[in-house]
Amino acid sequence: MYQYNPIDQSIVDDRVKQFRGQVERRLQGTLPEEEFRPLRLQNGLYLQRHAYMLRIAIPYGLFNSQQMRMFAKIADKYDRGYGHFTTRQNIQFNWLKLEETPEILADLASVQMHAIQTSGNCVRNITSDPFAGVAADEIVDPRPICELLRQWSTLHPEFAFLPRKFKIAVSSSKEDRAIVAAHDLGLFLRNNEQGELVADVLVGGGMGRTPIIGTIIQYGLPWQELPNYISAVLRVYNLHGRRDNLYKARIKILLKALGVEEFTRQVNEEYQYWRGGHQAFTQEEWNQVAQYFVKPAYKTLPSLNEEPIVLQAPESERTSFSRWLERNVKKHQIPGYASVLLSLKPHGTVAPGDIDSSQMIKISNLADQYSFGLIRSTHEQNLVLADVEQTRLYELWKEAKSLGLALPNIGLLTDIIACPGGDFCSLANAKSIPIANDIQKRFDDLDYLFDIGDITLNISGCINSCGHHHVGNIGILGVDKDGQEWYQVTLGGEQGLQAAIGKVIGPSFFASDMPDVISDLIQIYIELREPEESFIQTYRRVGVEPFKTRVYANKEKKDKKNTVGEDAHG
Amino acid sequence: MAKLIHYQKGGVAQLAENQWQILPVDTQEPLGTGPYLVPFQYWLDHSGSAEIQAKYLAGELGVWFASDADLTAHRDVILAGMKFWAIIAVDFPIFRDGRGFSHAAIFRERLGWQGELRAIGDVLIDQLLQMAKVGFDGFLLRADQNEAVALEQFEIIHHRLQNDWRASRDQLGRGHHV
Repeated sequence: MYQYNPIDQSIVDDRVKQFRGQVERRLQGTLPEEEFRPLRLQNGLYLQRHAYMLRIAIPYGLFNSQQMRMFAKIADKYDRGYGHFTTRQNIQFNWLKLEETPEILADLASVQMHAIQTSGNCVRNITSDPFAGVAADEIVDPRPICELLRQWSTLHPEFAFLPRKFKIAVSSSKEDRAIVAAHDLGLFLRNNEQGELVADVLVGGGMGRTPIIGTIIQYGLPWQELPNYISAVLRVYNLHGRRDNLYKARIKILLKALGVEEFTRQVNEEYQYWRGGHQAFTQEEWNQVAQYFVKPAYKTLPSLNEEPIVLQAPESERTSFSRWLERNVKKHQIPGYASVLLSLKPHGTVAPGDIDSSQMIKISNLADQYSFGLIRSTHEQNLVLADVEQTRLYELWKEAKSLGLALPNIGLLTDIIACPGGDFCSLANAKSIPIANDIQKRFDDLDYLFDIGDITLNISGCINSCGHHHVGNIGILGVDKDGQEWYQVTLGGEQGLQAAIGKVIGPSFFASDMPDVISDLIQIYIELREPEESFIQTYRRVGVEPFKTRVYANKEKKDKKNTVGEDAHG
Repeated sequence: MAKLIHYQKGGVAQLAENQWQILPVDTQEPLGTGPYLVPFQYWLDHSGSAEIQAKYLAGELGVWFASDADLTAHRDVILAGMKFWAIIAVDFPIFRDGRGFSHAAIFRERLGWQGELRAIGDVLIDQLLQMAKVGFDGFLLRADQNEAVALEQFEIIHHRLQNDWRASRDQLGRGHHV
């Protein structure tokens, strides 16, 4: 992975010093909260319901075992012994004191990390494919471009006070694992017919109150031109995006208001001034960065098919080991290697994406032993050891199992994406974690989960959509009605190249109804599916009606029964 | 008394005496004595007047732009006017309105303004470094801001990762030195 040079190091060190001064002025009272707020947000620091929360940047989801050990240290020293991996590949700590945050940032800087631009109305931490550089379906390795863009966007003076946040994602494989289409700006990298690296640039995607799938407005942009072109997009947005209404301030609203044609015309007009200009990336910069993303020292190994791998396990363990191989192990570019997903979604015991400090340390050890000391975080809030020898999969499975990280539920119903919700977040209308946990407990039967197969269930505690409910096959959104927590259900959302926004099925439900509602939805799918058909495929074929009918018919029955029950007591 | 900082390209940030009065928008009063920064709309309405001519001939006329100014639409008028203006200012109605950063960059890169470009309005300590990078070299601090802390801000981050008005990015050319 990328290693800081003295310039990178100096910037994060100076940034800590700068923030220390700002915190001091805040504590002395010479810097009012209103003016401190954007400064702390651009250092990843939120004021939540109970304490300060720090969101640490994991650029494009790639980090190393030493950095993970630092997370463990921070969890123990400054927090309550655990951390939370987010849907944008970052990690959050929930229980911090303002006066300690400069120390935490200094600790992070000592392992080449920071929290710069993980929040605020600026260009946010850039996300990408967690399998970058190893995925079997990869077209080009996106990481050099991600790193160049990380550098270019870091502390950019012109674009630190945009109308609203600006999220960039990069994908360069056949399957999009970075939900590029739901970003303010997305890049699909590929080689053109001349073999040159180019980007197709998508703009105006996003979730939140107005979920929109973005539009590609530029095809085949040479990679060197990325800073020029993105600057043109950002300048149009900075000058013309709405600043009068927080909910209409994202670039997607500007694009919608102007129309794709007019928006693109304005960007292209602005781009004429930038094209070929001095902001362009150079080959030399590429070389400086790309040297860190050469292939690690892979051994020459035979490629194994499933059978010899399964046979590594004693007979009594083969069924469960096979399940893990099926769900948690992914194909690799290099013969004899595989990528392993560690599930951070145990059934009903912790918040999706949470791990404690002892797990962090043990994962660091696993990374050192099995995967060149590197770890990746995923949009689905799991972790990846990307370079594991196939002959060591059984051994790794045993270790992951002892850490509670080997549940074979990747991509299954209980691999729930959820925001921290009302338990932590001051924006949330409703809790997310207990809903996720209740559903996980309801479906705590691996046979049934495997029978249901591929499905995504995403939960957000409010319309800000941090749990990405819009793109879940099943989406759950917490809403507030008359001071009560309710949950709205959407169906048909999808991420990837088929990205789609789910549709609301009808009136919302109580928290206590949710496991039953999910059971009904799954039951209808099981009844109606054709052989080999996934949940989303069945939904697309039969539409929303059968799902809706079943859920609300059952709810009516249950409500009647409850009313009678209460009367009986009364 | 408002506090002014000058930080010229290649120079050192220092406190300075402010000579310029700022004419608010929609003022009907005639200009008083001494240098004036007038709103761009005022320039559009009065640039032919004897009063304005006398001011610019004396080097006592500057123009300030609001954050919602459309520099592209008025490009020709601005380019013509720049010959007469001693100073240009950009207003920050609230510190978090980032349009002024883009305006500054456009004045420097695209309109070729070489004179003083001053940030006025809600100008706070913690945005000075960014302002200095995009093209401002004059900073009229909000009255409650601490000058000593303000002066430290320009050197607080030693390296840069993108080209700006003052310098090129430090990663460029690193390969030659390593």
